[in-house]
Amino acid sequence: MRRLVGPLVACAVLAFAVSGCGDLSRGELSRGVESLGAIAAQGQLIANGVARDATKSTYTRVMAKTMGDEAEHEAEKLADAEPEEAVAPERHAAVLVAEEIADLYGQLQVFPGDERHGAAVEKHMEEAKAKADAIAERLTGEEQ
Amino acid sequence: MKGILKIALGIIAALGGFLDIGDLVFNTQAGALYRYDLLWAVALGTFGIAIYAEMCGRVAAVTQRPVFDVIRMRLGFGPGLVALIASTLVNLLTVAAELGGLAIILTLLFDAPFSLFVVLAAIGIVISVALLPFGGIERIFGYGGLMMLVFIAVAFHQGPDWGAVGKGFIPSFSGSPLYLYFVVGVFSAALMPYEVHFYSSGAIEEGWTTKSLKENRLNAAIGYALGGVLACALVVVSGYLFHPLGVEPNDLGTVALPAQGAFGETGLLLALGGMLFCVGGAAIDSSFSASYNLAQFLGWEWGRYRGPKKAPRFTVSWLVFLFLGVLIVLTGINPVDITEYSVVFAVVALPMTYLPILMIAGDRSFMGEHANGKVSATLGWLYFALIVVLAIVAIPLLLATNGGGG
Repeated sequence: MRRLVGPLVACAVLAFAVSGCGDLSRGELSRGVESLGAIAAQGQLIANGVARDATKSTYTRVMAKTMGDEAEHEAEKLADAEPEEAVAPERHAAVLVAEEIADLYGQLQVFPGDERHGAAVEKHMEEAKAKADAIAERLTGEEQ
Repeated sequence: MKGILKIALGIIAALGGFLDIGDLVFNTQAGALYRYDLLWAVALGTFGIAIYAEMCGRVAAVTQRPVFDVIRMRLGFGPGLVALIASTLVNLLTVAAELGGLAIILTLLFDAPFSLFVVLAAIGIVISVALLPFGGIERIFGYGGLMMLVFIAVAFHQGPDWGAVGKGFIPSFSGSPLYLYFVVGVFSAALMPYEVHFYSSGAIEEGWTTKSLKENRLNAAIGYALGGVLACALVVVSGYLFHPLGVEPNDLGTVALPAQGAFGETGLLLALGGMLFCVGGAAIDSSFSASYNLAQFLGWEWGRYRGPKKAPRFTVSWLVFLFLGVLIVLTGINPVDITEYSVVFAVVALPMTYLPILMIAGDRSFMGEHANGKVSATLGWLYFALIVVLAIVAIPLLLATNGGGG
């Protein structure tokens, strides 16, 4: 019986590889992308506080670090996963958006009291959210 | 006049001390996900804790017996021990969650390492308890928590559709497990057992007698009702700001964002300051509650008013609970995750402590003329039925929704 286990596992792995199925389904990817949209939306609000000089630097810095880490983590998770063939382009686009959001949070972390940077980051966060929403829309067929 | 002032101060302290990290997390998430749809669950939970607290306070004032004394007397040692273990585990998780929350807020204010603030928060609590009298602790944290009123001002500043807000108080049901999970979470966050155990023991610490029953009723009815308004304000401001944007408030710092949006840095500081006092007060209440329960069940000398010399085991157990809370947070588990587990497990443990109180509150041989009347008894049993149902579904919902992660 034990002799059969090796070939069976090999066949299963081969069948999985040939079928082109990845471990990241459309649903999982779409949930990840929606999270990115939420992280970007929060970034907009945090950056808005910086742009209006209506916040505290320590708050902005700590929030930017926390949320930036979340975006980074999401990017790594998406990049590590093997997507279904049909959603591979969306996965790639999602990783880029996640990196963009993480980078924008990085800027807030470095310049938590700079209104000009705050305004620019707010605008770019809005764009990043729009990109995430567009990817989610392509994946789910529903308007975000 | 002095009596009225005392009652008013008690109500203000109850209002300021109503919210804890569980309310902050669950109410803000509920607003972001379901806008105003879960306001009814907040109201239901608030009404529930007012009923439960009033009964516990009345039982303590009339019989001079706090909650776990009653539990051991009514349930006996074996079942009572199960209730004690369940409550202690929930209290320990709550202590850890509140300490973690305190450290997060301090980090947001002063940007230093989280673990340092966990330790400093625990030291600060020990110093506060060592230096302040019981009433002083309650009032300082209660009054400081009044800064949370900024969220009511934010709600008015935002100017939501008040008709839609009003509709949120009409119970609505959905088959979605996530919705049901948040119903349980929001309800349970309002009805955390440690608050009531602390309230009951506090009644004895402050020497309540049958003369204090009016104070008890007003504290429970008005203090908790006003606290419930604050909890509803969190849902409303989050529903107004976060829901349309799709923000997922998974971090404690996000709770303060609407105040910053409405009133800038002043709003942000008031929100963070209010959260600091509320969560700090809850850390003291929950750690005290854990040692109150243990001491009352085991028949030790207990009470802050007795001091460490006259109640050494009580004092040591309190320090041990605080220390264990610190250790749990320092493992690196996210305090928000600990909060979610403590809130959900709290509702599972709740029937075990609620039932004995309900039974003794209605027992004329113990309570005499102060036993539950028809209205109190009916409401008490209705809530007990509701709590049992929620206790049964809480864990399956936690698993089905991946801890609210969907």
